[in-house]
Amino acid sequence: MYPKLLSSHPKLLVIFPSPPSPNTFRNPPEILSLRLQQHNSCRKLEPHIISCTANSNNEADGSSKNWEKWMPRNLFAAEKVFGTISGATSSPIAQYISSPTTFLHTVDPRIKMAWLLALCILPAKSNIPIRVGIVIYLALLSIWIQPTEVWKDQLGRVFLLCGVLFVLLGLSTDSAPSLLCSRSPPSSVTGLSTLPASFEGYRYVILKLGPLQLTRKGLSAASTAACLTFTIFQSASLCLTTTTSEQLAFALRWFILPLSSLGVPVAEVILTLLLSLRFISLVFDEVRNVALGIVSRRINWQQLTTLETIDVFFTYIRRIFKNINNHAEQISQAMIVRGFRGDCNSYKVLLSAGSSTTIANVVSFSCLVGLISVVTSSRYFYF
Amino acid sequence: MNSIALVGAVPLLRTHSTGNPCAAVTTGENFAIDCRNLSYSVKTRQGKLIPILNDCSLSIPSGQFWMLLGPNGCGKSTLLKILGGLLNPSGGFLRVNKPRSFVFQNPDHQVVMPTVEADVAFGLGKFNLTDNEVTSRVAKALDSVGMYEYLQKPVQTLSGGQKQRVAIAGALAEACKVLLLDELTSFLDENDQVGVIRAVKNSLASSKGTTALWVTHRLEELEYADGAIYMENGRIVLQGTALSITDFVEAQQASYIKQINS
Repeated sequence: MYPKLLSSHPKLLVIFPSPPSPNTFRNPPEILSLRLQQHNSCRKLEPHIISCTANSNNEADGSSKNWEKWMPRNLFAAEKVFGTISGATSSPIAQYISSPTTFLHTVDPRIKMAWLLALCILPAKSNIPIRVGIVIYLALLSIWIQPTEVWKDQLGRVFLLCGVLFVLLGLSTDSAPSLLCSRSPPSSVTGLSTLPASFEGYRYVILKLGPLQLTRKGLSAASTAACLTFTIFQSASLCLTTTTSEQLAFALRWFILPLSSLGVPVAEVILTLLLSLRFISLVFDEVRNVALGIVSRRINWQQLTTLETIDVFFTYIRRIFKNINNHAEQISQAMIVRGFRGDCNSYKVLLSAGSSTTIANVVSFSCLVGLISVVTSSRYFYF
Repeated sequence: MNSIALVGAVPLLRTHSTGNPCAAVTTGENFAIDCRNLSYSVKTRQGKLIPILNDCSLSIPSGQFWMLLGPNGCGKSTLLKILGGLLNPSGGFLRVNKPRSFVFQNPDHQVVMPTVEADVAFGLGKFNLTDNEVTSRVAKALDSVGMYEYLQKPVQTLSGGQKQRVAIAGALAEACKVLLLDELTSFLDENDQVGVIRAVKNSLASSKGTTALWVTHRLEELEYADGAIYMENGRIVLQGTALSITDFVEAQQASYIKQINS
């Protein structure tokens, strides 16, 4: 196939080894050595092909190769991908931090869940000062509650993400407005005076940056998206770092328990949630360990063809699924050994574990009611 | 409560082979684990029967810590799974005191819940206990393996040895009569290895009448055992004191080295 394809090219003069005799295909070791010979001959060809193309390029345009050095090379190289995966942390992000015990640790998980829900809805329903207030409140709470290295890392990433989102949305919402054609003729034709400008200094366009402009609509969209992103990420992080998986499951069970009268299998849902939470770390471990296994084999990726590299990736994914299935099988066996016979209701025993103090609950609940009241009342004031 | 399985019409035996040092003084009722002529085989896709265990007989007295040794593939884990009720024997007599608990080799397979205390409490669901009783049992079990301060820790933040202790605590919390432990120290370093063995020994000392059978490859662990069993090719070759098994294995090693050098 290669001789046929390449011989059609006028600049390539390729000499290939003589074709193998049909008998060689009956002998596997000979096929292997033949394959290696072919591989070597192909590698020898490589410089010749490159030099031909380089010459032709230089003839056409001497500076055409300048741009190549700016192009990122091997951005998704298999070696880098597996190296990054194998070097990743084994702990899932935003995991429970048991000590030091903070104010949020002592709040009932049901109140924390209500806060979580409120912080996912309120930014969309509030005005810009309230949104900024919520962001500042969450940032200060994170600094107070979380260990320094955790909040620094978390806040830095979330602020960066929200900042990028704010700038992109703010400048792009109204920067390419659709062309409108008014039905009525312009004031220059009718002789009527134009509409007066706002006496109160109202301006729809807040800022102009060349072709880009920040309008009131853009500001509102950008602040909503950035604030929502911040509150969702940060409040979830705060909740997860101060609440155990079992407490979360307990709170969720309390909220969805009325659905059991409608036939919803609440106990099964909660047990499945708990098993899934346990499984997250196992999946992380498997993904990392199998990648580590591949990296440790010291594969020469440069010698592999694209198809062979893809094949390694598929083997990697297949192996992960196989190992995870094996884990699932073993864990189900362990559950049987430990007396589980399918009755999920009997495994709620320690769901309510963890201490919550009355003062912390009252303070937290009052603040939540206060925030909802402020947001609701702010809708009746003009901004 | 005892669990008796009589498979393949094998007569119930009350006398013991000469290999057992306790045989002369102990009757079958005083054994926590008692099995006679136990066999287990698997069927291939072609319908061929492959024997895994052949004519295995062993008796372990109540309240003692025994070890089961043997080369890879000799059937130790299979025998343990049969004793734990995970596999059904093809033939023979089997009696194991209940409740019995099984601890797997890989702690990630044993630990089911995301947090330490919830995992230890997992097996207590079947006992119909109050919340206070559950909390008390969990605290006691974790204390006996030296993990009480890790009560609310997420499981994924623990080391291999700590996970293994949590798994043992889960088995102990059930107040089991027989503890079956499958190569718990395979993944552990020397410190964790000794820590886990001591945790098991301490918990046996604190709960009277609990018997443990520990599968291992490591000869140095025999010093903690009250007795030991040596297996080879699906058969029990020797059952006796830890010292006699150590001597037997060392003699085997010496003859093997001699064979290589000659």
